[in-house]
Amino acid sequence: MASSRDDFIIAIRSAFLKKSTQQKFSLLTLVFISIFTILLSSLDFKVIRYLKIGINELVYRSSFLVSIPEKLIKNTYFEIVDYSTFFNEYKENRKELGKLKSINISSEIIEFENKELKELINDYVSSSDKILAKIIVDKDSPFLKSIIINKGSKDNIKIGTNIYDQSYLVGRVIEVNYKSARVLLLSDLNSNVPVTIAPQNIQAIVTGSGDNYGEVKYIKSGIDNKFDEESIVYTSGTGAIFKSGIPIGRIKIQDKENLTKFNVEFYSDFSQLKYVFAEVITKTEIKNDKLDSSQNDNISKNPLDAKLKILEDEIKIIEDTNLKFKEENETLKTDINYLNSKISNLEIEILSKNKEIEKFNLDTEETEFLKMNLYYGHKCRRSFFNSKGFSVGTPEYKNCVMKKGRKD
Amino acid sequence: MSSFKTKGTFFKIYSMLPIILLVLSVLNDFDFNYLNLKYFSFNFPFILIFYFTLKDFKHFDYLIVFAAGLINDTVIGLPLGISSLSYLLICIATSYFRNITIRPNQIKDWFYFLFIISLINSINYSILTLFFTFDLILMNYIVNTFFTFLFYIIFVSIFKYYLRGLSD
Repeated sequence: MASSRDDFIIAIRSAFLKKSTQQKFSLLTLVFISIFTILLSSLDFKVIRYLKIGINELVYRSSFLVSIPEKLIKNTYFEIVDYSTFFNEYKENRKELGKLKSINISSEIIEFENKELKELINDYVSSSDKILAKIIVDKDSPFLKSIIINKGSKDNIKIGTNIYDQSYLVGRVIEVNYKSARVLLLSDLNSNVPVTIAPQNIQAIVTGSGDNYGEVKYIKSGIDNKFDEESIVYTSGTGAIFKSGIPIGRIKIQDKENLTKFNVEFYSDFSQLKYVFAEVITKTEIKNDKLDSSQNDNISKNPLDAKLKILEDEIKIIEDTNLKFKEENETLKTDINYLNSKISNLEIEILSKNKEIEKFNLDTEETEFLKMNLYYGHKCRRSFFNSKGFSVGTPEYKNCVMKKGRKD
Repeated sequence: MSSFKTKGTFFKIYSMLPIILLVLSVLNDFDFNYLNLKYFSFNFPFILIFYFTLKDFKHFDYLIVFAAGLINDTVIGLPLGISSLSYLLICIATSYFRNITIRPNQIKDWFYFLFIISLINSINYSILTLFFTFDLILMNYIVNTFFTFLFYIIFVSIFKYYLRGLSD
């Protein structure tokens, strides 16, 4: 018993401490270094932070280069799939584009109203710039869902910066390096987004599921029956982590063993992202002009200018709307003209058809008369034996034949 | 085959292939996750490190294994050092297993591999959830462990050919 324990200890000691001829460090040393690194990485020292940024930059670039061949294969596969469904998608997209164009104008108006109201309540006006960023590392890990973009602190990216795919929310920045940043996707388990569910106007939190969908959590019990599959999920802006009103996805109701789950089907497909937009926000406080009455002249110009600008914007939107209506009118007029010409053509056609029918009716009558004439002509024709008859060709003769001879 | 050895650079690259593969796999995350197959993921570095350290492959430097772990943490977004610790624990386990084994057996190795990766994934999961408050799905770890275990035997047969080519 004692010897087997000794064997075990010798084997363990050998495993930890013995250095083979090729090894520069024993495993025990490296294990200690690893534990030390874990401890250091959990502490937020400035030196470690910079060291980490350096390693990140180097590794991200290397990873980008190394994954080029794999990405090429992956992209070729997706392109083949795209081409095979290209035409149908094109037709659907064209329809959708028409709808979206009309919706766009109304959303512009709403945006303008929103801005105006914010100015009225002396809030801040946020001007935002969306920077295009390329995804350099996109490892769809089963454990963590994140991507690396090629924009960092050099481009004013900060922790918390919202990341978009077109106008849909994708996630937020959780780690910033000099020329790269890590984005935590909405599908990650650690992602929590305060949202509003429309049109029911219900506040909730959407958390990632670790898969390609989100889960609606923290909703009041009893209101969950209000949801339907058409409900839209967008950010509520609560907590000021995400901007309000950014579309996220649609509600998908999942019934499993009498347990209803509300999932969120994201508008954006995170596995297909190539480029994203990072929103760099600069907040401008609106000064309360009424307080500085001494500098009336100078300051009063500012609100006036602002109001003028707002009015100008309003005029521009109205003009745009008018233009749109005019265009629609023109289209409708063209349609009406086309339909009118079609109607007149059809009328002409109907007339000619009527004539044909009439002619056909006449022909039928004539045939009928000739047929009757063969049978009853002798009864109606005036002759030596039939002095009460009629002359052939007179209407009376015809009438007599049709009545199958004289009835007197 | 002597001509193969005299080729110099090519032979050197060939003999360094496992290390190159390890670095590339951690940089590129070679795991077919983009196929989006539900419940499918495996850990290629685990297989590679386990096999080559078990065979006491002379070019498999522990320092490079440690560095590969750091790279993996950076790419995946885990706290630095977690993967390094996991990889080094595999090295310790294989070193111990090598010391106690008199007659190597592939099936024994295979099941020992399952035990080791289950243990390491458990440690990994515990550290991330307890000390770093990460939200993780345990099922993903179990599935990952299972597929890594299944793939081990396939990769081992490929690695055998490689080693045979090297010794010839």
